[in-house]
Amino acid sequence: MGKDTMESVKKLFTTQSSKVDTNRGEAYYADLYNSCRKRLDELKALPPINNKLDLQAALFDEGIDRRDFLKWASATTAMLMLPASFTPLVADAVQVMNRIPVIWIELSDCAGNSEALLRSDGPKIDEIVLDIISLEFHETLQAAAGHQAEKQLEDAIATFKGKYILFVEGAVPLGMDGQYGTIGAKAETFKDHLIRLSSDAAAVIAVGSCATFGGIPAAAPNPTGAVGVMNVVSGKPIINIPACPANPANMVGVVLHYVLTGKLPELDSLLRPKFAFGYRIHDNCERRAHFDAGEYVEEWGDSGAKNNFCLYKMGCKGPMTFNNCSLIRYNEAVNWPVGVGRGCIGCSEPDFWDKYAYERPMANANIKAPSGGVEKTADEFGLVLLTATGIGIGIHAVASAIAGKKNSEKDAE
Amino acid sequence: MKIKQLIEKIEGEAELEFDFQNGLVNDVNIIFPLYRGIEDILRDREARDALVIAPRVCGICNHAHLIAGVRAIEDGLKKAGININLTSKAISLREFTLSCEIIQSHIKWIYLVALPQLSILNRIKPLDSYLAKASWSSNTVVKAMSIFSGQWPHNSYAIPGGVSCDPTYEEIIHAETLLDETIRFMEQEFLGINIEAYMKNQELSESKGDIATIWNLINKQNIQSKGKSHNRFIAFGEHEIFKAGEYSQNRTNEIDTSLVKEHEQPNSKAKSVTYNSLCYEVGPLARAMLAKNNRIMSLYNIHKDSNLIRIYARIDEMINLLLYAKKLLANLHPKELSCTLSKFPKGFSTKGIGAVEAARGSLIHETVIRDGKIENYTIITPTQWNLSPGTSKESGIAIEAMKGSSSAEEASFVFRIFDICSACTTH
Repeated sequence: MGKDTMESVKKLFTTQSSKVDTNRGEAYYADLYNSCRKRLDELKALPPINNKLDLQAALFDEGIDRRDFLKWASATTAMLMLPASFTPLVADAVQVMNRIPVIWIELSDCAGNSEALLRSDGPKIDEIVLDIISLEFHETLQAAAGHQAEKQLEDAIATFKGKYILFVEGAVPLGMDGQYGTIGAKAETFKDHLIRLSSDAAAVIAVGSCATFGGIPAAAPNPTGAVGVMNVVSGKPIINIPACPANPANMVGVVLHYVLTGKLPELDSLLRPKFAFGYRIHDNCERRAHFDAGEYVEEWGDSGAKNNFCLYKMGCKGPMTFNNCSLIRYNEAVNWPVGVGRGCIGCSEPDFWDKYAYERPMANANIKAPSGGVEKTADEFGLVLLTATGIGIGIHAVASAIAGKKNSEKDAE
Repeated sequence: MKIKQLIEKIEGEAELEFDFQNGLVNDVNIIFPLYRGIEDILRDREARDALVIAPRVCGICNHAHLIAGVRAIEDGLKKAGININLTSKAISLREFTLSCEIIQSHIKWIYLVALPQLSILNRIKPLDSYLAKASWSSNTVVKAMSIFSGQWPHNSYAIPGGVSCDPTYEEIIHAETLLDETIRFMEQEFLGINIEAYMKNQELSESKGDIATIWNLINKQNIQSKGKSHNRFIAFGEHEIFKAGEYSQNRTNEIDTSLVKEHEQPNSKAKSVTYNSLCYEVGPLARAMLAKNNRIMSLYNIHKDSNLIRIYARIDEMINLLLYAKKLLANLHPKELSCTLSKFPKGFSTKGIGAVEAARGSLIHETVIRDGKIENYTIITPTQWNLSPGTSKESGIAIEAMKGSSSAEEASFVFRIFDICSACTTH
């Protein structure tokens, strides 16, 4: 990996990133619209897996009216980079989300993503939407505990064999034969647990930087030999939603995209959905104008800090971090790190814990801008049709997943 | 007779091996099957990397880890002759965000652990509304926090010398509004009476709030006076409503951090910790005892360190912190400096300790810095105090509390009353 040079900095600010092509012509979108409509009708005809929550009632209970809901639907449509005409479809898709069974497991983690997702964060409507996802198993969320919970998991795997979406939070420690992390009364290692559960899943979604790239546990010297899900699971479509914690809006986005289109969203070479990770933080940062004007915070607490100037010289990693935080923010969109003058630490990038960590201004850091690693053929990855019965993503992803890994290895060199 | 019980929903899981004699729990072995080696990871890094990495020990008390880490660095700088005078603004903002984190954690303990688990103990189906209430109210208080901290979990707005944010009056008012909404929720849904009445010790017996449900369910199980342990308490963090000190043999004494010792355990990555070679309880009850909280002290005099008072101390602390957080915002001076250390010194060598009261008790970070890099980093978490297996002379705090339980289910609930965190224990 080369050190930063003026050339690489220049390249960083001019290279096209892995953006979703949002202008594919009327015919394309008309086709897509019709296939989505057809799919939603098919899903609607299926009985809900779990009737626990009625969307209309839930919205009403939360004091959210139809108008607020449609506002959310149109914002989500935009986030998924679909034309505005798809808004009614997105609104409909939410209502049939409970046809998709989801199993959520926690491995070598801090539960931060579960916290973000289910216990504290996320726009209110996203939360209701998550209640509507048929969460068949989630350790933290469900009432059952102990052996009863284990049974519930086994039941869910058997009932929805080949159909469920597996969410994975946390890294997989491979050191010491996997004994750094075990689960359940039989002390199954995280690795075995993950392989067993993913083998019956329709798709595997790795949430958070630990599950995607190994995260903090994999930081040097990686005491437990921790790796991400894509290093362990093969033969299944994998989607990575990195960041620490991952943004709940992106988790909802992926599931919603799947419900709506029957396809996984377009992914980049690191298997991240392009709708969320196609742009750098820097591209849409609220302080970008100050960067362009050359107005920087020079030291903590100076007048630049008071005036919300650009944090680049304080080591902000926004220019080399692909994520949509600057657009969707955190905690019901109340704020995000740059909003409190802290700068981005690049928490969604591979190896951020070793390469980015604290405020090392980029010019001094041993970092290569990650702008070149976008696989142009990744578009093909998500385009796998769903069977009429609902779930069942094809195996196409395998090739892409392997290609993705190879690419990231190549980048690392 | 041995019975194994798996405990989840503790940011990971733990396994309890109960040894029963004559139908009662006689001893317990606690096993945590997760280890990440965060202290090893911190070694040889730049001193401030700890502020990004250490908070990720835990998804629920991450902010306490950040504050403990930044205090350890500031203490080290002070010892190296670089004095940092934090402004009252920076201190208040840190206290505010820290309080919010404790409040959200207590809310989740009440609605996601206590109420569902007590329902199950009583063979009642937990209400669906518990999740919605936990989510709404903890969400609201976390939003108030993120106005200053940027996000939660895992923010890094506290920097050596202060904080990075510079809030406007408008932002402060926004946070106050969110705090008021949380208080309203507590009054309407949880306490069933208004907060002033609660502070004036008005009887809760008529309450129709969820607090009444908790009491009812505990009384039905007849476990209110069980759960007694060693009657020794300790707290290291200090501010207006928390006082540092240790309480044993009915006396409060000053603490000496050099008496804190970590001990490796055979076959486990969870280290136990003692103070002056004895086991001490940390957490809301310990804090209430050391701050001489009248409501809790008067109950303690009757019930000692039992299940009921441990639960009540957590609830009472949540209410107190809501009022404290409000006061912090009302007295905030936005015109003061946010950060008083503009340039972080290079290549210095020192040693610093940072202590903070996290939701589950005292959290201590110790950093040894050589030439600007971390030579050694020690994290002592609250659960290490409460879940220690004990010493050769006595059982650990939670183990002692579980002894005498009449079933594995009951003992598991006693265990959960300590608000266990698996991720923190082993880290």
